[in-house]
Amino acid sequence: MHSTDVNQMPLDAARQAARDFAAALAETPQFQAFEGVYEHLRQDAVAQQALEDYRSKADALGALLMLNAVSDAERAELERRKHHYLTLDSVQAYAAAELELTGLCQQTAGLISAAIGVNYAASCGVSCCG
Amino acid sequence: MNDTLTLPIALQHATEHLIQSLRATPPFLAYQQAQARLDADAAARTLLDHLAALQAELRRKQTNGEITQADLEDLRALRAQVEANGTIITYINSQQAAVNFLREINQEIGQLLGVDFAVLARQSTC
Repeated sequence: MHSTDVNQMPLDAARQAARDFAAALAETPQFQAFEGVYEHLRQDAVAQQALEDYRSKADALGALLMLNAVSDAERAELERRKHHYLTLDSVQAYAAAELELTGLCQQTAGLISAAIGVNYAASCGVSCCG
Repeated sequence: MNDTLTLPIALQHATEHLIQSLRATPPFLAYQQAQARLDADAAARTLLDHLAALQAELRRKQTNGEITQADLEDLRALRAQVEANGTIITYINSQQAAVNFLREINQEIGQLLGVDFAVLARQSTC
């Protein structure tokens, strides 16, 4: 057996284990619930419009927001649109399902990180600040 | 692993299998070996501790506007010592190789799930 084969087999085995892991995660109630509410949110025209209303306001204010140069009235309108979006039933259902799923993913990633000596989320380019 | 008691059995087994598979790959075997060599090398570890302490001190000085040219030269000299230390460089390179492979693994997972697993696994607090 060539040395490249000896090195390649465990790498391929790990990639297959990753796919098996993904399949197991996809079968969990948390992931299936998340998929369901995500699709429902995506098809919720009222929620999509509310999100667009909020984003368009935020975009219009643009640099003024970063410079903290927005009037009280504009800021209040932005917050109103944000609140409207976040309190919609489909958005709250999505947030709740996402919270359940992220808890599960954090738990499994934590186990992996502890065992391999590398922080999974941090290594894959994701910081707590995005 | 008490935490696995809360996971569905299939996910628990898949997680354990993924862990064992990762640990058996060349990048992670090399990283484990480099980590063990670093742990056994007191001089290398002392060098890293000095570098970390100096960097923390210079960050504090920079905040107060107290940093001097001599401070920067001390930092450069210490960094040069670290970069010339074989144990440390081997550890850093092996860690990067392990991280690179882990990113490939994350992509495999994401392609099947349709979402980025690492993003979902991110801790919510800084």
